[in-house]
Amino acid sequence: MSWPTVLWSMDAAACLTLATIHLAIGLRRRAAANLLFSAMAVAAAGMAALELVLMRSPEADVHAAAVRWAQAVFFVLMVCLIFFVRTYLRAGRPWLAWTIIVVRGITLVVNFFSEPNLNYSAITGTRPIRFLGETIYLTEGVFSGRTRFAQLSSLLLLIFLLDATRTVWRRGDRRRAVVVGGSTMFFVFAAAVHTALVMQGGVQSPYLISVAYLGVVAAMAYELTFDVIRSSELAKRLQVSDAALRESEQRMALAAEAADVGFWHYDVDQNRIWMSDRVRVARGYRDGESVDFGRFLEAVHPEDRALVRATVDEALRKGGDFEREYRVIRPNGELRWIAARGRVESDPRSGGVRLRGISFDVTPRKLAQLEVERQRSELTHLSRVTMLGELSGSLAHELNQPLTAILSNAQAAQRFLAQGDGHLGEVREILGDIVEQDKHAGEVIRRLRVLLKKGEVDRQPMPLSDVVRDALELMRSDLVNRGVTVTTDLPPDLPPAIGDRVQIQQVVLNLVANACDAMEGLERRERRLEVRTEANGPSSLRVSIADRGPGLTPEESERVFEPFFTTKAHGMGLGLAVCRTIVTAHGGELRASSNQEGGATFHFTVPLAAGGPA
Amino acid sequence: MKTSVERVFLVDDDPAVLKALARLLRSSGLEAVTFGSPQEFLERVAGTETGCVVLDLAMPGLDGLALQEAMASRGMELPTLFLTGHGDIPQSVRAMKKGAVDFLTKPVDDAVFLRTVREALARGRAGRADREESTRVRERLAALTPREREVLAGVVAGRLNKQIAGDLGIAEKTVKVHRGRVMEKMEAGSVAELVRLADRAGLRRS
Repeated sequence: MSWPTVLWSMDAAACLTLATIHLAIGLRRRAAANLLFSAMAVAAAGMAALELVLMRSPEADVHAAAVRWAQAVFFVLMVCLIFFVRTYLRAGRPWLAWTIIVVRGITLVVNFFSEPNLNYSAITGTRPIRFLGETIYLTEGVFSGRTRFAQLSSLLLLIFLLDATRTVWRRGDRRRAVVVGGSTMFFVFAAAVHTALVMQGGVQSPYLISVAYLGVVAAMAYELTFDVIRSSELAKRLQVSDAALRESEQRMALAAEAADVGFWHYDVDQNRIWMSDRVRVARGYRDGESVDFGRFLEAVHPEDRALVRATVDEALRKGGDFEREYRVIRPNGELRWIAARGRVESDPRSGGVRLRGISFDVTPRKLAQLEVERQRSELTHLSRVTMLGELSGSLAHELNQPLTAILSNAQAAQRFLAQGDGHLGEVREILGDIVEQDKHAGEVIRRLRVLLKKGEVDRQPMPLSDVVRDALELMRSDLVNRGVTVTTDLPPDLPPAIGDRVQIQQVVLNLVANACDAMEGLERRERRLEVRTEANGPSSLRVSIADRGPGLTPEESERVFEPFFTTKAHGMGLGLAVCRTIVTAHGGELRASSNQEGGATFHFTVPLAAGGPA
Repeated sequence: MKTSVERVFLVDDDPAVLKALARLLRSSGLEAVTFGSPQEFLERVAGTETGCVVLDLAMPGLDGLALQEAMASRGMELPTLFLTGHGDIPQSVRAMKKGAVDFLTKPVDDAVFLRTVREALARGRAGRADREESTRVRERLAALTPREREVLAGVVAGRLNKQIAGDLGIAEKTVKVHRGRVMEKMEAGSVAELVRLADRAGLRRS
């Protein structure tokens, strides 16, 4: 069995196999490390072939040529190794690398211009020895000092490798430092030392450079293969998680579709809004159209745009969660109510701010809600109109008084004028009075019109005492006719309450009318009514209307507020129910209680305008 | 204040109306006094004044009808005229029964108002004249002796001198003398006038 032939052939075959594999990988993945490795493995195979030629040839000429060509192969090996370290390990000093390449390059040039080659000044012959059961031939000749250059470059290569390994180790990639850096250094060192010894005749052995470099190739192949395995594992894992992601996305989309929820996020810095497809389609954005905030606002109902903008601004200022309901107009003109909820986030990558959230169509709920509000306002209005109908006599009288004064004044003026110019001063005075009385009549009509108006609820800060006084003013004639004496305590310096003036007046009118009804059976001088406004704790005001009527039983105190409950012969029993609805909608309370000295008191609270007492 | 000028007393709780009506009265040469409430009127007016009262029906406290009653109970004889924003029939009937001159609705036309006020003033004057005559008759009546009064009663009852003489148990001639004195004291020109005067004095009963 000729072992060297077998072993060196196997060495070359192994190197070529690995080279082929990594050439394929390198080309496929466009990976420089694999290509460099492939080239190096080819060079290592070449080195094995040259060593085999040397071992098996007794001819001195063949030895001279083989050693010369070995220099070229070794140059390729070295260059590939250096670039491999640079690209794969991303380590090693570039200047050192170039120094090595230049030194080695010079030795290569020298090699080809010197006879017989770099290492020998003369090759005298060959010497047969027994090696692993086979006769092989060693080179016999005069060793050249030029070899020192080659050895210098090998030394530099070792330093380069040591430095690169240290860098990799420090980087924390210790496995690579040991497997690639450590083993490479070991084999490069072993090859250099062994070669030097063989050349100087200290050791009777063939060259083992290819064997040593097989170790380098094996270490690198191990590492590269490990990478291939790892990347394929990663790919598999990615596939799995990709599938899971897709699954979760599908689930999400299904849930979103079922719940009719849309997703969106708004990159504030780039002014770009992403939204899920359904929303895009619903808002009428074209495919691939990029939507900025302005474009988004275009779909929003013009009356709601300022509100939406303010909500976004506030969210950006305060951060955290936000919520807003707004109307959008679909491309077909349809109006939809949308509720959006979101959160302010900062993008960890860009550091920019974004809003992310969901939106859903709340049109049916909103329409139902609006319908309820409309019906409530209808009922409130109806009850107000009914009550004003009952008060019509009183209201007519309120108007009749100024009209009477106006007519009599005007006729008096006519008479004065008919008597000549002597009364012009008087006539002037009369005209002034007429103007004033006309204004007074106009004021009565204005109050009346406000109460009859079917308007939206308009909550504003208001002076509660004035509002109560206005209501009493409207009822003045009625109170006089019914012989009711009113005592008021309406301090003008209370802080403003928040509410709808008309509705609060409606409550007062209702309660006063009820109080008068309750005192119908009393002697005229007993029909006394007390109306007062006062502070009720730190956040609301209270209006109290106390009568001297028969009062209420404890059970009645609550039941009077039930719809259709009435103690009167006429009347629907809706007045107090409506009053309570109004007061409750204002965030107040309406209650009834009995007075110690007889009669009942109705009181209700109205919240103070925001900020409370100044 | 017997011969004082006639004045119109206006009572209304609305100062604007009060002022306007006073002007209207003044423009037609009438003197007006204004009161913002029935109480004020009762405090300031004694009942001896001459003129008439214009009352608003609906006022806080005492209303017009109550004031009318209060005036009657104090023996105030001023003719009363009601003004109302929305007079209803029961109220007007009640007022008229108590002797109101009229019941006018606001706003009131000047012609109607002034005519009615003048009517009230005229009625006041008539009443005053009437009352003055009654007083005079009562004074004359008081001047009669008891016997003369008995004879007067007989004459008014339509009895003959002879019958009266029989009733009283005196001579017919004496009756004639008394009768002549009665005619003289009562300043009556005829028996018919004497009967009228006796009527005014409320003498003819039964």
